[in-house]
Amino acid sequence: MARNRVILIGSPNSGKSMLFNRLTGLQQKVANFPGITVDVGTGAMRGLPDTDLVDFPGTYSLQAISAEEEVAVDYFERALEDDQVQHVLCVIDATRLEKSLYFTLQVIRDCERHGKCVTVLANMIDIVEKNDLEFDVQGLSDALHTPVLPLSARSGKGVEAVSRRLADSLLEPYCAPRAHLVDTPDELLRGAAHQLAHRYGPKGDVLIKSQARLDNFFLSSVTGGIAFFVIMYLLFQSIFTWAAPAMDAVEFLLGAMADAVVPLVPNQMASDFISDALFGGIGAFLVFVPQIFVLTFIIGLLEDSGYMARAALICHKPLRLFGLTGKSFIPMLSGVACAIPAIYAARAIDSPRKRLLTYMAIPLMPCSARLPVYTLLIAAFIPSGTALGGLVGWQGLAMFGIYFFGMFCGLLVTGLVSRTSKDQYTDLPFVLELPPYRIPGLEPLLRNAWNRAKHFVTKAGKIIFTVTLVVWVLGYFPNYGADLGQSWLGHMGRVVEPLFAPLGLDWRYGVAIFTSFLAREVFVGTLGTIFGIEAADENMAPLVEHIQASGMTIGSGLALLVFFAIALQCVSTLAILSKESASKSLVVKMFFGYFLFAYAAAVAIYQLAHWLT
Amino acid sequence: MTLSLWSLGAGDRCEILGYDDALADKYRVRLMEFGFHPGESVACVQSLAFGAPKIYRVSNTIFSLDDEVATHVLVRLIDG
Repeated sequence: MARNRVILIGSPNSGKSMLFNRLTGLQQKVANFPGITVDVGTGAMRGLPDTDLVDFPGTYSLQAISAEEEVAVDYFERALEDDQVQHVLCVIDATRLEKSLYFTLQVIRDCERHGKCVTVLANMIDIVEKNDLEFDVQGLSDALHTPVLPLSARSGKGVEAVSRRLADSLLEPYCAPRAHLVDTPDELLRGAAHQLAHRYGPKGDVLIKSQARLDNFFLSSVTGGIAFFVIMYLLFQSIFTWAAPAMDAVEFLLGAMADAVVPLVPNQMASDFISDALFGGIGAFLVFVPQIFVLTFIIGLLEDSGYMARAALICHKPLRLFGLTGKSFIPMLSGVACAIPAIYAARAIDSPRKRLLTYMAIPLMPCSARLPVYTLLIAAFIPSGTALGGLVGWQGLAMFGIYFFGMFCGLLVTGLVSRTSKDQYTDLPFVLELPPYRIPGLEPLLRNAWNRAKHFVTKAGKIIFTVTLVVWVLGYFPNYGADLGQSWLGHMGRVVEPLFAPLGLDWRYGVAIFTSFLAREVFVGTLGTIFGIEAADENMAPLVEHIQASGMTIGSGLALLVFFAIALQCVSTLAILSKESASKSLVVKMFFGYFLFAYAAAVAIYQLAHWLT
Repeated sequence: MTLSLWSLGAGDRCEILGYDDALADKYRVRLMEFGFHPGESVACVQSLAFGAPKIYRVSNTIFSLDDEVATHVLVRLIDG
């Protein structure tokens, strides 16, 4: 028997996704930030066998102004023609009725045209009651000729009534909607929404006043600026420091498992595969899972509390100069730790064009995987002396310089692309709804962080495993791992040696650059293998000496630093970028574009250094 | 006197008169959906430093608009 489908629709930030979770027990992404639901989620309804609830992306009206909204609206229109769909649940924010009612009237009109039942769900009724605001639910219901159920998705109050209402309507599928809006144009609906909100909606501005008090603090030039830097510092710390023990634990656990499993494998090749490709390669990406979990949790906290919208507002003006939006700031900051959670964080950017530009900036942020490479090259080529009476260390200055260079490149790219490219991605105006401040719920935050980490493992895992396998095979055969220099990878390094000659690099560095496309930090381990140094990534000093003795010049060292600052050498980032942008061509263009950019900049730096010395 | 919404300072209230022709249709549609339609009264709640987007109240909702949008919304001051 075909399953019944119930449509859940509502404007962004109306609490729709949280209600979806209540009604299905599933774990849809929930956040206090407009436009967060990107996908159409489906889940079986609790207590209603044979019924699925379909969660549509939040939209402000049925008149789409971007390609993404068009997809959502088209999908909704098609759903209304589906015989399995008999009921539409339209979620409104009871505290801000006017914003929701225009959309609600459009939904009722379209449902009347298709003979579908509508129930309006007035969410956040707990906030209305808590602040002693008046909301004439019955009056609104009578005026709309549609049932209106007050509820709180957060507390669960009134949610059971929704299930009961659906059960009743499904038993008697034809609910005879009144055709009172069928021919009403949008302009009249807009006026009607205004009147209905004023007549039946909450009066008074208690909520607005409390929001304004907090905004006076968080958005003032002095206290707002301090609060912003403190919050961003904590976010940054969460990525680097708080996630570190869990990352170390994952690394330790994988190491212990490898130590326990590898000796049990009798076949040498299988043993090498398990040790190097499985635990080495896959382990290198699993280690990012805690970082993704922590960052998603903190970002969820900022979104749910309502602060994220304020942060976007504060950063908007400077980022606009580079074609970005204030909402690009958090993803770009996250990218300084790791591009993968940063790409996930870019979902909150509603403008498709600005989201695309943010995707382009993220891989140029100086992520933590670049750190071992920078540390090695700086130790090898930059003197350890100090200047200004010991206040400034040359190596520290070089590290700061290369970090700044990466960020500068990110802004340079977005600035240039935004000014020169016309593409199919729609831009949206910066009209940002500032949601009320709320105390976030712990459970949805934890669930969301868990889901995001799981998504990373399941979606990126297949691609990363495939690439790991290819690189391992190339590096292992034909001499069964005896000498990386004589492997297929080593031969490839020699074949492409002329490519790296303009940087003053020989085949050994070519091979290390090849393997670093798996993950940047692999560069250090590969050079260690080539130079015959055990555990070079843990103790770099012998490797530094070998590099210095290998005849590599300071120009080549600087060229390599610049190359690593720009090139997109991370298969995990490419995999997630492909999934999130739903565009393989974008990923291919970015990969080759950044490679050429990195190569040209590195050649220029090498030639400049060569000319100066 | 006709002003732009962007010219309002914190505490000013106005009535929306319309939009100028330079505002793209899709932006106009979005503004109307948010409640910025002709005849509606809007208050400028906060005007931030360094030209950051300003904060406006329409009905019971707070929005932030940057100058790229707000300069194209035509208003007249009310309450003096």
